[in-house]
Amino acid sequence: MYTHLTLAIYFIYVCLGLIGIGIALLFTLRLSHLNKEKKSKYYLQKHQDYFKFIQTHLNGTAALPLPPGKLKELEWRVIQQKCIEWIGQFKGDYREKLVRLCYEAGFVREDIKLLDSLFYGRRIAAAYRLGGMRAAEAVPRLLKMLESEKYTPLTIVVARAVAKSAEQEEQLKEMLQHLLRHGKPIHNMAADIVMESQLDASRLLLKLLDDENPDLVKVALVAMWGQAIPEVVPSLDRLVGAEQTDVRAEAVRLYLSSNPVLKDDTIKSLMADKDWEVRAAVAKSLGSLHAAGSIPLLRSALKDANWWVRNNSAESLTKLGETGFEVLCQVAMNGSGVERETAMYHIERAMQQNNEHEKLDQMVAYNKKKLLYERYFGVAEKRPIRQVAAVGGDYTA
Amino acid sequence: MTVNTIYFTILTFSFRNIMTIFRRSAYSKYNTLSGSELVPSVSLLVPAFNEELTVIENVKCLLTLNYPTYEVIVINDGSSDNTLEVLREEFGLEPLPNPEMRNSIDCQPIRAVYHNPQYPHLFVIDKPNGGKADSLNAGINLSHYPLISSIDADSLLEKDALIRMARMYMENPEETVAIGGDVRIANGCLIENGAVKEVSLPRKMWPMFQAVEYLKAFLGGRIGWSAINGLIIVSGAFGMFRKDYVIAVGGYRGGYPGEDMNIIIKLHRYMLENKLKYRVAFCPEAVCWTQAPDSYRILSNQRKRWGRGNLKNMIENYDMAFNPKYRVMGLLTMPYNIIFEALNPYFKITGLLALVGYTLLDMTNWKILVVFGLINILSGYLLSIGALFLEELAFKRFTKVSDLARLLLFSALKFFGYAQLGGLWRIQGHIQYLRNNNSWGTMTRTSWKEESKAAKTA
Amino acid sequence: MPNTAALQTEIEQSNLYVTIIQKVKESAHEANGVLFIYSVNAPSYLESQISGILESQPGVTFAMWSGHQPGSIAVLLPGQTLDTVHFQGLLLKQRIQEINGDLELHMALSSFPEQGELNEQLLKQMEESAKLSPAGDIHIFTKEEFQPSQTRILIVEGDATVREFLQIRLQMQGYETAVTDNGISALELIESWNPDLVLTELNLYGIDGLPYIHHIQQLNVKTVPKIVVLTEQRVEQTISLCFKSGIDDYITKPFSPVELDARIRRCIH
Repeated sequence: MYTHLTLAIYFIYVCLGLIGIGIALLFTLRLSHLNKEKKSKYYLQKHQDYFKFIQTHLNGTAALPLPPGKLKELEWRVIQQKCIEWIGQFKGDYREKLVRLCYEAGFVREDIKLLDSLFYGRRIAAAYRLGGMRAAEAVPRLLKMLESEKYTPLTIVVARAVAKSAEQEEQLKEMLQHLLRHGKPIHNMAADIVMESQLDASRLLLKLLDDENPDLVKVALVAMWGQAIPEVVPSLDRLVGAEQTDVRAEAVRLYLSSNPVLKDDTIKSLMADKDWEVRAAVAKSLGSLHAAGSIPLLRSALKDANWWVRNNSAESLTKLGETGFEVLCQVAMNGSGVERETAMYHIERAMQQNNEHEKLDQMVAYNKKKLLYERYFGVAEKRPIRQVAAVGGDYTA
Repeated sequence: MTVNTIYFTILTFSFRNIMTIFRRSAYSKYNTLSGSELVPSVSLLVPAFNEELTVIENVKCLLTLNYPTYEVIVINDGSSDNTLEVLREEFGLEPLPNPEMRNSIDCQPIRAVYHNPQYPHLFVIDKPNGGKADSLNAGINLSHYPLISSIDADSLLEKDALIRMARMYMENPEETVAIGGDVRIANGCLIENGAVKEVSLPRKMWPMFQAVEYLKAFLGGRIGWSAINGLIIVSGAFGMFRKDYVIAVGGYRGGYPGEDMNIIIKLHRYMLENKLKYRVAFCPEAVCWTQAPDSYRILSNQRKRWGRGNLKNMIENYDMAFNPKYRVMGLLTMPYNIIFEALNPYFKITGLLALVGYTLLDMTNWKILVVFGLINILSGYLLSIGALFLEELAFKRFTKVSDLARLLLFSALKFFGYAQLGGLWRIQGHIQYLRNNNSWGTMTRTSWKEESKAAKTA
Repeated sequence: MPNTAALQTEIEQSNLYVTIIQKVKESAHEANGVLFIYSVNAPSYLESQISGILESQPGVTFAMWSGHQPGSIAVLLPGQTLDTVHFQGLLLKQRIQEINGDLELHMALSSFPEQGELNEQLLKQMEESAKLSPAGDIHIFTKEEFQPSQTRILIVEGDATVREFLQIRLQMQGYETAVTDNGISALELIESWNPDLVLTELNLYGIDGLPYIHHIQQLNVKTVPKIVVLTEQRVEQTISLCFKSGIDDYITKPFSPVELDARIRRCIH
């Protein structure tokens, strides 16, 4: 018993000691941080004239001079920080001039040296800053870093640095391979990283579409979203029949966004795809394609098990003129369950939206729809009343 | 004592991760990401019950987040005050004819959905009172996006909070089922334009204790628990979930408080039973500021409610404890929560009684009593210092030296009175549970403007 | 090259301007820097200090006079373009402040004929502006600034770095500018200050995005300002919604400042 007590008392001493050290450390940390902050603020003030100078003469032809006088290390850091902020905001000549300034000030050299530091923290910080300075020189070294690292949130920091600085497409591709080798489905993140590049990414993406690595294909598809160019159509044609569900879905969506001329058969088979994302994408695009056979397809898609497919189909129907709208009205009158509900929601939405149009042709279209609406549901008294709790649940996300 | 040992282990994990956390937030630029089309869209669900004072400010704050595509869905849970009316007036909302609700999860029928095309991303659901869980379920039914995020109507999100979480999600989208945010006490901070402008500690005693408590729980505890994927709770005040999995586990459970813990336990259970790889992550750099109750009565009500919810969750899921099938969850988190969270106050009381009785019988051994008491307090204090250390290393939200001193002081004071009260409240909560008393208790709010005024004059 | 220092204290003001104009005309250079320095309680040795600093730099020729007002000094730097004069100016300021710590210097500078035809009126304007400008400020006169346009631009931007840059740039082009960092005060400023154009980020504190654009258009002002959005937000749906609600242009960051200038000019004319 007694020894236990002594042990306990020793333990108390240890605790007290640790607490003392802890408190002391806390205060030192706090004070040193405050001190550093105060100094940075002072330096920012001190170099305000220089900063204004840079901002005034970025458009000139002459190279930017370095700040005058002898500077302390923290002062250089403050200036570097400012330059990185500018580089992040500007495009074109302005950025290039600042990049050159960073290079001439020796920032790039210093940070490349730091990439070999023993401290992991310093290496990452240097990598981040090198990306900020668009230091092409550092890319091979950064790629090596990326290769040896396991997957952590910081991998993305390094990958971004590579994407920002890379001057060759090959480097971007290598970066992607390293990033995706961990098998995580981070295609959106990877696409976002690629888009940070200063290079014209569309050529690289085009190449990636034909790559054998499905991960790279996916990144390309995701990154291209919204900017499909005619050149990609042949590749897409092939990918629409791809094995992997997500590749197919993305490819279809991209394919449709380029406003292709679709054959009725193609539409039919796509609308019967087993993947709901494909069906939803097709349903959505049918609204703007004005293909003849699409109305019956959309009509039956209102019964689809997936919410997005139903919703997109209804929306497309409202866009397909009177015939499409009438189909919706019929469903709202005579249909049941989910299809009725979807139809009613979109009818109301269309009526509300159209109300705001002012142009003549839009007015005419709207009035036609309104006539239809009133024929089905009467002027005011016979509005469709929504039934609470539809039959059966919808368990899709 | 064992509690503290486990806690130390968890704290070690926290320390192991803290530098990564610091670096990933320091070396990520969020502004490019926050405008990117590639970021997944999120539906924010804001259940509101009698929040007429704060709701406008909060919705305004939520509408100005730094995020590419998201929508805000406020669910008026049958408020008896003018919550709905102030919202309608401020944002010019009109009822949507035939709103489409996807009945993915059971919830009470709603009265109406309000919307104004000028605020395309704001929806307000009006429904009869059915509790927070039911409101969230209704929100899920209306939501249009694949991720959902639950946010308390008395909380302010930092502008970057959501994009920081989304970045974490994008790092590993397939496995991440839920992400929790860091909750901090806003009392005492200067708030302007729906954002915390100047961080400062609360001046009143009760919020101050809670500030210390939150800091310890979130930084010291949750970072560590999430490192071993044993996080049992994602704060109801600010968390992000994958909608498909929330729907798969049947949504939130109504009827009892503690729905935030419940959903996480259910997610763990679902993922483990279906042998899916997953993680429940904690994102300490995503910060949500909340108003802490500042009077004894409200605070005790809140804590009793928590005690009740915790007990309910533990009783419902006792089968997971000590079950190797549930991995960390079954072997560590659940036992820890049952023994050291739910039953802790009883142990403390019996232990204390035994010690007191023992020493009363034999007065010569008063030393033992003192030593045990000291060990308990000191090791606990060391933990608090550890948590402060994490804060100091990675976040540095409190700028003043005096704030640090106050944090240290209150961390120490906590052991004399506040900690004991915490135990008492928990026991009272348990009694309420056994008596089937299921009232939510009152929660009064001060409008943010008043809070801020007080902060300015101080 | 020999440094020539001419210190003539007894020159009348108009004479001083005439002398400078004469010198510039005679000069063989394309550009001649003119720098006015003003200090409230200038020590008597300030002039010699300045000439000392200028002399110590290789390749710099200059001429220097006392200005008409006490504490005012005029310096002519033949052969220096606007950016080199500017650099000279900040160098001078830094050196002088290194020597006598808290001395507050005001400066105004330009270069001729690079920035326009020199006349007495301009010189007077510069000397006045050196005296009136806030302490520590270096005021740069550009061609556009000598003939300020009446166009008012309100800059709304949360990021301090970008805000500063935009202000410097637009001012140099002769626009009258005001800045703010949040949506609420932007709306107030539009009402009270009546800008012709609002250059704004979409992501702001207080109020932002589409509701913000709507609010601008519903404000109680005679003419709704033109709206140019400069933002990180690149989601296509948002962009098209913005155009639908009547904005005049949409530029995404990172941006090219040259392009920005062009677009602003197009919106105004």
